[in-house]
Amino acid sequence: MTTALRGRAADRSRAAGLARPGRRRRGRPVALFLAPFLVPFAAFYLAPIGYTLYQSLFRMHRSGLGLTAPTQVFAGLSNYATALGDADFRGSLLRVLLIGLVQVPLMLLIALGLALLLDAKSTLFKRFFRLAFFLPYALPGVVGAIMWSYLVAPGLSPISAAARHLGLHLDLTSNAMLAPTIGNMLTWGWTGYNMLIIYSALQAIPAELSEAATMDGCSAFGIAWRIKVPLVRPALVLTTVFSIIGTAQLYNEPAILHNVAPNLSSTYTPIYAAYDAVNANNFNAAAAESVILALLAFVLSFGFLKLVQRKGAAL
Amino acid sequence: MKPRSHSLAAATVVLAAAMLAAGCSSSGSGSKGEAGSSSGVVKLDFWGWAPGYDQSVALFNQSHPNIQVTFDKTASGSKGGYTKMLTAAKAGNAPCLAQVGYETLPSFAAAGALTDVGKYATDAKGQFADWTWKQVTIGGQTYGIPVDTAPMALMYRKDLFAKYGITTPPATWDEYAADAAKVHAADPTVYLGDLGNDAYNYAGLAWQAGAGWFGTAGDQWQVSINNAANQKVAGFWQGLLDKKLLKTDPSYDPSLYSDMASGKVLSDVNAVWDAPIIASSVKDGAGQWAVAPMPVWDAANPVYGNDGGSATAVLKGCGHAKEATEFATWMSTDADSVSNLIKVTGIYPAATSGLANPTLAAPDAFYGGQTIFDVFKAETAHINTDWQWGPTMTQTSTDLGDGLGQAGTGGTTLTAMLATVQSKTVAGMKQQGLSVAGG
Repeated sequence: MTTALRGRAADRSRAAGLARPGRRRRGRPVALFLAPFLVPFAAFYLAPIGYTLYQSLFRMHRSGLGLTAPTQVFAGLSNYATALGDADFRGSLLRVLLIGLVQVPLMLLIALGLALLLDAKSTLFKRFFRLAFFLPYALPGVVGAIMWSYLVAPGLSPISAAARHLGLHLDLTSNAMLAPTIGNMLTWGWTGYNMLIIYSALQAIPAELSEAATMDGCSAFGIAWRIKVPLVRPALVLTTVFSIIGTAQLYNEPAILHNVAPNLSSTYTPIYAAYDAVNANNFNAAAAESVILALLAFVLSFGFLKLVQRKGAAL
Repeated sequence: MKPRSHSLAAATVVLAAAMLAAGCSSSGSGSKGEAGSSSGVVKLDFWGWAPGYDQSVALFNQSHPNIQVTFDKTASGSKGGYTKMLTAAKAGNAPCLAQVGYETLPSFAAAGALTDVGKYATDAKGQFADWTWKQVTIGGQTYGIPVDTAPMALMYRKDLFAKYGITTPPATWDEYAADAAKVHAADPTVYLGDLGNDAYNYAGLAWQAGAGWFGTAGDQWQVSINNAANQKVAGFWQGLLDKKLLKTDPSYDPSLYSDMASGKVLSDVNAVWDAPIIASSVKDGAGQWAVAPMPVWDAANPVYGNDGGSATAVLKGCGHAKEATEFATWMSTDADSVSNLIKVTGIYPAATSGLANPTLAAPDAFYGGQTIFDVFKAETAHINTDWQWGPTMTQTSTDLGDGLGQAGTGGTTLTAMLATVQSKTVAGMKQQGLSVAGG
């Protein structure tokens, strides 16, 4: 249709004998209307990415004891090699992968379950529960993290105290428990958000489908499993991609938890490690680490999309 | 029609460009200390975090109508303040003045974030003890004015020491270890002290033992974090950890103060500036606390440690280095300012005139009416003055803090952790283009 329109406009210009100037004039209004988007997009999105890529290819050169202003020299990919050769940084990448692998499916299962329960006909107090499940997300993430850090801090934790009454020794900030504790904080904070996305998708399903299934003798569980879940698949894919990206960028929870758990290292997650490099005034290393993390998040989220699309085609 | 739309598009682009340019430079132009052209008043920005600095700034502004300083409170240095300053310096919009600890000044120098004020500070030099002036002079350039030093001492619960049969506070580390065992044997939930995760507190312990971390030979840095002297210090504290004689609450954490308030942690070896922090964090213990000299390695030849002390540094791009130096010198030497800093900030002055400040003779009600600064004054003549900081202290202190945190929970030992910190420090220095000996 656009081609037809464009063709018709071109005919008209040609008829008026203004073909060439007309084409040039059309570009300006387009640029004018795109500018409000393109200018900030370039300034606040493309420029920082470009600057990060640029920074990641340089390193500081100092002479003597290096106590005067350094000069920047081209370093090729050596910052990337250093970052990938650093066991702490590799460990941080592996850590978010593992946390994501366990926490994301678990959280989305709970979110889906809650959304289906809210959507079920027989559920009482829907509005109350919808709000209650969503409430943790309404709290700023850092506030939630501070609250949880007091709930798990050794010496203060009521959870550990309760376990002690049962004769169990439970230190929620020990090295082995750090990842589960952070996973718990994430699940608490984000399940409601994901539930709401899935719930809105459920709301969009026409009631006739459920009615028809009921007439055919399908149980409530069957309706949920055979009708509703396949229909909210796009919402599940979306929340999974969001969660993958969110987990890759894990920072708030470990950073706050560090205050009560000094054994949580300052390179616990990739962003934490990059921030650590910035703190050490090594902007080039931080840039390389940021690019690696961005690539990882990109590959994982797009890899997941490709995977489910192929599966979708096969179905 | 045609010319009009053309000019409109051009105007939009120009406007957008102007807004971007303004956004990038507006914070820079003001803070670089450019003279207010109309009135001739020099405006300086000052970033720092210590309580009480704002009051000294207000005093200065009252008496110096031609130089007006604005104090902006940042997060404390290691909690993001330094990162903010270095990032601002890199972006070219740093304030003229900043509170920078001696330990971080070489890192700032290595980042090229400082301005040499040597030529404005010739008069100031004579007003400070030699070793504090050395802390602000790096590679022959003077980057600021010393504010304070931080001799360390033992702050303890006098009443509870008596309860557990400690009649005199431990004067040596051997006595400290014996007392730690004694207290813990009497009540396994009570600890003599706490080994937190503050890297610089640990540095003070190494400093006292003469266990240097950094040195230079020619044009090369030398890192000795894992040398024999440091192993001795680490070995002592690891010995106490192994016997579970120390609490390992994180430094300056509410859990530490809650343990102090409930009588579970009886003392802390910390710097002079920690005295008011304990006083405000453990209010219920008022009157029960006291200050004794830091335990020493050799009672016949006592040497004490220093944990902190900072300078008012002049940052890169300061257009009014002369006025900035004038302010910094005034803040550290003016009697009213120093009185304020002693009272509110809890500093121990670096200026020689400051040591005679009458505020230092005031008894402290929290510490049972003791004149606590007498303890620190007696120590100052015996503080090791050779200590040299390295150019990557932010990284070294982070790694050491991680190691202390791990050691506290049994994830590693202090003695093993030193090797990790040493190798990470050397690698980090090399990565930043510094030449380092060995590895």
